[in-house]
Amino acid sequence: MKTILKDWAIEITILAIAIVLAFFNPSKVGSALLSATKTYLNLFVVIVAIALLSSFIVVTIPKQAIGKIIGKQSGVKGILIGALFGTLMIGPAYMFYPFFKELRDKGAGANIIATTIGAWAIKIAWIPFAITVLGWKFTLLFNALIFVFAILSGFFVGAFFKE
Amino acid sequence: MNTNIIEGIILLVLVLVLYVVYFIRGDKKKLKDASKKSAKMFIQNSIRLFAIFVIIAILEKFLSPKAVSAFLLKFNGFTGIIIGALTGAVMMSPAATSYPIGQYLLAHNASYSLVSAFLFTWVGIGVIALPLEFKFLGKKFTLLRNSFTFIAAILLAMLMGALL
Repeated sequence: MKTILKDWAIEITILAIAIVLAFFNPSKVGSALLSATKTYLNLFVVIVAIALLSSFIVVTIPKQAIGKIIGKQSGVKGILIGALFGTLMIGPAYMFYPFFKELRDKGAGANIIATTIGAWAIKIAWIPFAITVLGWKFTLLFNALIFVFAILSGFFVGAFFKE
Repeated sequence: MNTNIIEGIILLVLVLVLYVVYFIRGDKKKLKDASKKSAKMFIQNSIRLFAIFVIIAILEKFLSPKAVSAFLLKFNGFTGIIIGALTGAVMMSPAATSYPIGQYLLAHNASYSLVSAFLFTWVGIGVIALPLEFKFLGKKFTLLRNSFTFIAAILLAMLMGALL
């Protein structure tokens, strides 16, 4: 029981906040629940895919095999794989944290994961829209700088992990 | 939003192909293990993510784009960059929502730096997802990554301001 509480502390807190707010402003909380459901349904397929992919990795890939490709010592190749993956992926990065944990357990470097999460801030699919709204100069420079940041972020975080 | 569904389906199909190719070669036991684990992971992730979606949605009800822009337009200079970065870190809606806000801010004479800081931490830091990052990737990783991202946001903002 105690471990369950600890394990789900965040979700229980959120539930409590929602219940308290619902007393004061039921209509706002109601429409928030509705829009959360919409977000969930929108991302449902991705959530299913992540669960399948994560367990596939847990079950089939031997420990440290991942480390050869995206381990701390995987060098430029590993960093580029991480940056590319982060750039191309969709949905919020936190949705992939359970997946990253499995990768870490199988030997993926902290530096690569940090780079991947950093590159997540680049939203390829939205770049055309960003250009129409913010202009091409702003958008392209902004995304180029994010890419550089993502790689530096990997070096920074990686420097503190021995592995 | 529909791009999420389309790209999600592409991702799912790729994963399923992986499953079929691997498990056609034999190992039925592993297939069973993987599907059991997937079901468990799917349920747990669903609850955790739904909770986050709820808190984000509640936040959206209170922090409308209008209110946020009006607030940010009160600041400029270096303070503007810091406030922009802090505000972006709290916002967690999809990135596409942030661009029109950025456009509005620029049209109302906000600096490129402030807008860059705000747009960058919007996607780069998610205060609400921090507990999730703690849980799955560890405290050390989370603290290092997010403090670096915050400092980078300020530097990136100044660079954008200088270059544009």
